[in-house]
Amino acid sequence: MSKPHVSLISTKKIVQMNNVFTSYDSKNYILKGISLSIDRGTNYVVVGQSGSGKSTLLKLMNGMMTSSKGTIKIEYQTPNIHNKKFKSMMHKIGYIPQNLGLIKNNTVLENTLIGALPRLGKIQSLFKIFPEEEILEAKKILKQVGLEGKESRKVYMLSGGEKRRVAIARAFMQKPTLLLADEIVSELDHVTAREILDLITNAQKTMNLTAVMVHHDMKLALEYANRVAVIKDGEKILEIGVDGDEIIDFQTGNLTSKEIMEMYSDDTKK
Amino acid sequence: MTPKNNLLIGIIIALLVVASYNINASPIDFVKGLPNLAIVVDEMTHVEPKLFVTAFWSIFETIQMAFIGTVVGVAISLPLSICAARNLNSKYVYVPVRAILAAVRTFPSILWAILFVIMVGLGPFAGVLAIIMYTVGFITKLQYESIETIDSDPMDAVKSIGVSKLQLIRYVVLPESAPHLLSQMLYMFDYNVRQTSILGLVGAGGIGFYIINYIKFFEYGNAAVFMIVVLITVLIIDWISVKIRDKYIVKSQYGMNVKIK
Repeated sequence: MSKPHVSLISTKKIVQMNNVFTSYDSKNYILKGISLSIDRGTNYVVVGQSGSGKSTLLKLMNGMMTSSKGTIKIEYQTPNIHNKKFKSMMHKIGYIPQNLGLIKNNTVLENTLIGALPRLGKIQSLFKIFPEEEILEAKKILKQVGLEGKESRKVYMLSGGEKRRVAIARAFMQKPTLLLADEIVSELDHVTAREILDLITNAQKTMNLTAVMVHHDMKLALEYANRVAVIKDGEKILEIGVDGDEIIDFQTGNLTSKEIMEMYSDDTKK
Repeated sequence: MTPKNNLLIGIIIALLVVASYNINASPIDFVKGLPNLAIVVDEMTHVEPKLFVTAFWSIFETIQMAFIGTVVGVAISLPLSICAARNLNSKYVYVPVRAILAAVRTFPSILWAILFVIMVGLGPFAGVLAIIMYTVGFITKLQYESIETIDSDPMDAVKSIGVSKLQLIRYVVLPESAPHLLSQMLYMFDYNVRQTSILGLVGAGGIGFYIINYIKFFEYGNAAVFMIVVLITVLIIDWISVKIRDKYIVKSQYGMNVKIK
């Protein structure tokens, strides 16, 4: 088991959400009173069916969306693109959207270097002049994610697993303290999915990185996460603390664990 | 077919008949006029081979005019289209820019050519200026529309890193819209070569100057030489743009080589 051990890491909270409501329009709430807190250095997984509001949850954490009610604090700052203090720490939050958000006409290296943009000056970024050490760093990270020798490939030529590795490399290039990944292993075969999750958990150890990931596979979630939250129709119905193969903490909402496991039985059957 | 659709088609046909009557568009006149066309076509077969040398030089001038016009026009369009894109600017920026562009597009290239002939005198330079104006009006519109349809995923992903707007444009907007821009540029170059033939009408240079003069003096055979050269040139440009399109555009859009049978 390669997941980081909770007790060895500072328990300082990196993400705190209290009774958060969000909506696209004034009528229908996507999230209905979500409360959660995430410890630094842990792997927190959110599980839920599509439309349950799990992607929204991630977008609230990096300021791409704002809540209608409730409080959200990331490193004690409210995530909002207009909050100057938060804006100055956005480069520390790696975000991998569901469709990865890569520039498909650009090369693997160019996509990775995007993660270094907040460290680059105006003139340098206009002419795409990256300092030598940033390029070396990008190559090092690409080696770490298993893309060595593919630096000059165009992204559209890569396989699904390789594209995910590029998105991870771009996020690592930010030198993040928080990594948000939306369904990064869905639609992948189980071998590739495990390779990718191993990659992230290994990096967590060396970088003291907190990962918040959205999955829809309960089995994978339990295997890699320190805590798993289950979201249904915008409400947190369950939160499980996991240590190795044991469940150490179990907070239910209004569903029994049996019902929940049945809900995700399609994913766990192989 | 619903009755509503039938009614709509009926209305369109009725409007066609009424409009044709109003502008004296009669199919009978068209058929009656066919022998006249035969005379012109017959005249056109009496080509003067010596003229081909002149024709090739003048098409060379035309291509150069179209080239300058397209490149400079696109260079001006790029910053303008970024200013006119609704997903990058507040309405206080894009509304005035769009208003100016609409005004530029109101004039067809021939009117721009007349204006520039008055300004800088007869010759190809007036034509080039007219082509630039037309290209700016046209390409900017196409380009801001393609910027507005950029996938929001890369935009959000890169925005969330906390990059500046300049960086967002340089590293997401430009590479994501580049294939569209290339495609539009190729189309515009092709179009500009053809429209330069018309600009000659008002003395703004290019091959059109010869064509219109020979037609004025009923020397259809000589005019035909120039028309053949335009046709060959357009075919060659078309062939080249298909090659470029396959190499850079189709592949990047679909991630593979498309075999066209």
